[in-house]
Amino acid sequence: MTPRPTVTPSTILSLTVAGLTPVLVLVAVYITFRGHNAPGGGFAGGLIIGIVLVLRYLTDGAEALRRLPVDPVVLIGVGLGAAVLTGIAPLLVGGSFLESNVWKLDLWPVGQVKVVSSAVFDLGVFILVTGVVAAILVALAEADDEASRGETTGGTEGPTDGPPTRTGVDR
Amino acid sequence: MRTPTMLLLLLAYATTAVVCLVGHRRLGAASFPLATLPHLATFTWLLVVGGDVLDGTPLVAEVTWVGPLELTLSLRLDGFGLLLGLLISGIGALVTVFSVGYFGARDERARIAGLLTLFAGAMLGLVWADGLLTLFIFWELTSIASFLLIGTDDRSATARAAALRALLVTGAGGLSLLAGLVLLGIDSGEWTLSGLIAADPAGGVVPAALVLVLVGTATKSAQFPFQFWLPGAMAAPTPVSAYLHSATMVKAGIVVVARLAPAFASVGPWRPIIVVCGVASILLGGVRSMRQQDAKLALAHGTVSQLGLIMVLVGLGTPATTYAGVAVLVAHALFKAAWFLSVGAVDHTTGTRDLRRLRGVRRVPLLATSVMLAAASMAAIPPTLGFVTKEAALEALLEGGIGWTGTVALIGVAIGSILTVAYTVRLAVGVLGDSTTADDPVDTDDQHHPGPTLLGPPLVLALLGLGGGLAAAPVGEALARIAAALDPASGEGALYLWHGLNPALGLSALALVGGTTLWWATRRTTATADAPRSASTVAYDRLYETLLSGSRRVTGVTQSGSLPLYLGIVLLSVATATGAALAVDRGLLDVGALPVANSPLEVAVCVATALSGIGVVLARQRFGAAIALGASGYLLALVFLLQGAPDLAITQFLVETVTIAVYVLVLARLPQRFSAAPAWAPLWVRIALSVAVGLSVAGFALHASGTRQEPSVAAEYIERSEPEAGGRNVVNVIIVDFRGFDTLGEITVLAIAGAGVVNLVAAARREQRRKHLEDGTDVEDLSGRAPEVWR
Repeated sequence: MTPRPTVTPSTILSLTVAGLTPVLVLVAVYITFRGHNAPGGGFAGGLIIGIVLVLRYLTDGAEALRRLPVDPVVLIGVGLGAAVLTGIAPLLVGGSFLESNVWKLDLWPVGQVKVVSSAVFDLGVFILVTGVVAAILVALAEADDEASRGETTGGTEGPTDGPPTRTGVDR
Repeated sequence: MRTPTMLLLLLAYATTAVVCLVGHRRLGAASFPLATLPHLATFTWLLVVGGDVLDGTPLVAEVTWVGPLELTLSLRLDGFGLLLGLLISGIGALVTVFSVGYFGARDERARIAGLLTLFAGAMLGLVWADGLLTLFIFWELTSIASFLLIGTDDRSATARAAALRALLVTGAGGLSLLAGLVLLGIDSGEWTLSGLIAADPAGGVVPAALVLVLVGTATKSAQFPFQFWLPGAMAAPTPVSAYLHSATMVKAGIVVVARLAPAFASVGPWRPIIVVCGVASILLGGVRSMRQQDAKLALAHGTVSQLGLIMVLVGLGTPATTYAGVAVLVAHALFKAAWFLSVGAVDHTTGTRDLRRLRGVRRVPLLATSVMLAAASMAAIPPTLGFVTKEAALEALLEGGIGWTGTVALIGVAIGSILTVAYTVRLAVGVLGDSTTADDPVDTDDQHHPGPTLLGPPLVLALLGLGGGLAAAPVGEALARIAAALDPASGEGALYLWHGLNPALGLSALALVGGTTLWWATRRTTATADAPRSASTVAYDRLYETLLSGSRRVTGVTQSGSLPLYLGIVLLSVATATGAALAVDRGLLDVGALPVANSPLEVAVCVATALSGIGVVLARQRFGAAIALGASGYLLALVFLLQGAPDLAITQFLVETVTIAVYVLVLARLPQRFSAAPAWAPLWVRIALSVAVGLSVAGFALHASGTRQEPSVAAEYIERSEPEAGGRNVVNVIIVDFRGFDTLGEITVLAIAGAGVVNLVAAARREQRRKHLEDGTDVEDLSGRAPEVWR
């Protein structure tokens, strides 16, 4: 059969990835906000979170994805909602759809901080991309997990042989 | 005169409806009393402003939505709108009171109250609408409310089918009406009813537009050949039928015809269509009504017949017929609503509406009075309003002067009157008389006594029908001022209780004698309980079936389910379209002007990318192919980097990583090697297609980057990036700001795609689980282990 993505019980790898996770999340957020002035942005940030999830899945199996604090579908909704609201907000103060605004705020002790309304839009993109990647991963991982369970519990016709669209995917 | 009151009243209806629908659990018994409030407010306000409106100063209200597109919510209250508003709110209030007793403590009462209120608001909007598109919006709203109300009993397949049929027929008619109104609007440049009538357009499209409008009005007002949905709509609770399907909604088509007829009746196809459809409805409805054993169904068929009469009168569009049409409309609304509510009370008390089983209704005096008065008005027996208005109708038709259509209408109405008397007598005898034939009669003596809320409303309506007839002169004068809003010449009309010995009276007498004789002659013929389906119903069912099976066939042909075939078709289209463009105009490709490469590194990366592409094709294992594909993706990111596009390179790199991970997850579920199953096309075809796609896409890319006609926007974007959007990374500023709308569209697509994947996988898993459970191979209950994330 196919080489399954091996859920190697490697403690070292697992701990390393677990330790890296917060750093990578921070990097993702950084990349997202950095996007305004340097290469990066919400899309790239969201994908980094996606890669974190892939790593967690490879080290800890589907269990890692099942423990997600938020339902990925909710993230998709929140992200899209944030982007749409950024578009609508200017309408309420007489602007046009998606019109951006720049505020310069004095935040003691940080000093002057420039806030751009389109950053909220980018944040929405970030959350949405995270949600989409997470949703797809969770769906596939769960299905895969279940399939392998079905195999080990002695299903004669392993579901791996009969995904519904198999004939369609063959070339 | 401008006033926001109409808008506020409509808002009150909408709010009440929402409160009833949302708070249905808490509201309970309070829902119907609450629903009477907007009716009472509207009725009172209309009485207050009525005098001014009748004196000829219409009230208007406007809310502009999209000015340049003429999308304006515009309402206009004239005399006719005043009359209809009084009917809608007045009968609405009575029906709501009736509903308190009728629905008792049934669970769905708040839902019905909400929907009825929603409908009433939409209907008021419809009759007050001046803007053509405003009219259409409210028109559709009433159709939807009607659909939901007919389907109240959503566990009954018959009710669901009837609701769907009503929705499809009136919905299709609504589209026809919209097309007609838009044509009229474009032709005249006027987007209000009042402006349209004043402009009186005579363009070439006007006859076609009017035919479309008439199709729409015929569906809504249940006119031949679209009358078949109305009897089915009787699946709705009786108060709903009384309100929507006799007194108000089915008048919507008549309202539109009445407004347009004075201006357009003389246009080519108008009168022939009105008269043919109207007279067919009169006769068909009358004959069918005689064959029903269910009192409510008999009333429904009678309604088709009566609506035909009103349609003919207002549709002919002479001052006299318009006046008579308005008068008959009022009389019909009163007696038919009274009839329906009486039958509802009988049904509520005895549990049946079967004319063969009812006994003892006449021993409930108030109910018997309502039935007798409503029957007298329906059969046009003096001195009821039904009689005086029928007289006015016959007189108007006897006037003649509009050619053959007038003659046909007169004959049709005369025969229709005979039928009306016959089915009315049959109904009255069936409801009031004591059944002797049925094996299982239901006697009111054995049943509970209907309460005041069940007896009051029909009695009020029936008494109004009697009073209106007795006070014929003042009522006639008021109606004349109302009809003047449609056609100033109709203001001359009058109603008479005693009009002297004239042909109209003769026809009325003939109808009474003939109808009674007809009833007497046919009283023993027991009609089959299930009358055969009408030709229209059969035609509708066939059309519906054909549409469904046709779509299934088209789907079967175009959707083979083979992904390679789909892909092949898509690629073939791409290759053909771009290839053809490039082949026809060779000047499009100016390869010579482009540099081959900027550096040797670029050449090396491109060669490596191409090699990994070849590797994908040659790989025998799926896993190997996925790796090779990933390699080409990473190399492509390198190309972007070399070309000075770090944003693109980052994104490409990350996307590639995630994609490969997803690939691996999917591949785990597929056989290791590509199957040797016969491919969808021979090898050489696939190779030829690949080469063609490669060449044409490459050619297209070369062309696209080599032909610039307009100056680049890049410089401007870079210049504006920092000062206007506050960002130095122009790529990101373009994505989130300058072209933010595009991004919004893209992430929406992404969200939908994500939801699609999730649902497809979930569906496949459900299917597998089901199979496992069926086969019994999997003793373990997998559903118990459903992951928390996927509730």
